[in-house]
Amino acid sequence: MNDMTDHPTDDLTDDAVSTDLLDELANLASPPPAELTEGLFDRLFDRWLTTESPLGPVLVAYTGRGVSFVRTSALVPGEQFLETHRRRFGRPLRRADSTPAGLVDALWGRPGSVPEVDLEGLSAFEHDVLAATRTIPLGQTRPYAWVAREAGSPRAVRAAGSVLARNPVPLLVPCHRVVRSDGSPGQYLFGPETKQQLLSSEYARAHDL
Amino acid sequence: MNTTARRAHSAPDATTADPAGGREADDAIVELREALVYDLDEGFARLVGAHQAVAYSVALRTTGHRADAEDLLAESLLRAYRALRGYDATRLRELQPRPWLLTIVVNTRRNQVRDAARRPRADGAEPPDRPSTERSVEDRAQDAETSDELAAQLARLTDVQRTAVVLRHVVDLPIDEVAEVLGCPPGTAKSHVSRGLSRLRALMTPPDGVHTAATSRSNP
Repeated sequence: MNDMTDHPTDDLTDDAVSTDLLDELANLASPPPAELTEGLFDRLFDRWLTTESPLGPVLVAYTGRGVSFVRTSALVPGEQFLETHRRRFGRPLRRADSTPAGLVDALWGRPGSVPEVDLEGLSAFEHDVLAATRTIPLGQTRPYAWVAREAGSPRAVRAAGSVLARNPVPLLVPCHRVVRSDGSPGQYLFGPETKQQLLSSEYARAHDL
Repeated sequence: MNTTARRAHSAPDATTADPAGGREADDAIVELREALVYDLDEGFARLVGAHQAVAYSVALRTTGHRADAEDLLAESLLRAYRALRGYDATRLRELQPRPWLLTIVVNTRRNQVRDAARRPRADGAEPPDRPSTERSVEDRAQDAETSDELAAQLARLTDVQRTAVVLRHVVDLPIDEVAEVLGCPPGTAKSHVSRGLSRLRALMTPPDGVHTAATSRSNP
C-alpha cells in the first residue's frame, strides 16, 4: 500500500477500494491508436513544394483534401510564401516528400486527371466563382460577366473579379482565362503581360491539336 | 499493487515527463522552447510528437468517444499553433508546454459543449461535421466503444470533477499542473479531485454491496 507516497496530495487513498480505483483510472490512459498518430500530422500540417510551371518556378501548398495555394517564386519567394500561407490559412507547413498526382500536368494545362483543389474557408460566392472558372477549357476565354452569372450573381461582376484577383490556386483554377467583355485581357495576379502570354500560348496549343 | 505498471500506463509521454511524475524534464522543455523560437512549424511538430499521447488521453476520457477525441485533439492542436504564432521569443521561452496544451484541450472541449448546447436542434437532423456533440457525454459513454464501466461512470461526474480526476489520476499530472489547467488554486484543484473520486467510488459500488469499504463510506 504505497499510495500514500505515490499520491501525497490526495486525501482519499487510504483504503483498498480507492487503491483499486486509482489503478483502474491509470489504466484508462490509452495511447492513441496507431492510425491516429500517423494521420494526425497529415491532418495538422499542410505540405509545400516547388515545381516548374508556365509562369516559371512556383511554390505549391496542399492539404489532405487537395491543392490549397499556388504562387510564383518571383512574386512570393520562399520564406515569404510560407509566411503568407501561414497568415492566410493559420496552419503549419512541412516540406512535401512527394508531388500530388496530376499536379504538374495540370499546372501546364495538359489533359489528364486534374488534382483536387482545397477551397476550404472560402465563402460560397468565392467557391462558386472559382468553380465556374475551372470549367473554362484550354484555349478559350470567358468575360467576367459570364463568371458572375455562372456563380449565380449576374450583377456581381466586379466582386467576381476581386475573387479571381485573390485566387488561391492560379493555373489550377485558370483565372487567366477570364477577360474583359471587350476582349482585352484585364488584370492578373502576376501582371497583365503574363496573362496575355499565357493566353496566347494556350490558344496556340489548343488550335494546333 | 503494481505502481510500475501504473507508471507505464499513466505517463504515455515518458520521454518528456520526468520519472518521478513531476514537471516535465527541464532539458526537454528547454529544447522544445528553443525549437519553437528557431522554427515555429518544426518546433510545433516536436510539441505534437511529445504531447499527443497525453493530450489524446485527456480528450478521450473527457469526451468519452474516440472520434470526438480525435477531432478535439486536432482542433486543439491547430488552436495551439495559432496561439504560438502570436507569441514572441520571450513568451515562448516561458512556455510550460504540457499544462499549456492541456489547458487548450480542456477549453476547446468546453467551447464545443457550449456551442452544441446553443445550436438549435432541427428535427433530429444533425449537422454533418460534429454530430456527436449533439448528444450528452453520458449517452456516448454508453456506446459500445466505451465498454469499460469506469470510463462510463466518469461521464457522470460534473465537468470540472471529471477533468480534475482525468488530469490527476488518468494522465498522472502533479496537482499544481492540474490547478494550472483548471485555472484555480491547487487547494481547489485538490478538492475537485477528491470529490470526483468520492463520487466515482459511490457510482462504482455495486448494489449488492460487495465493496463494503465504499458502501460504508457513502452509507454510514
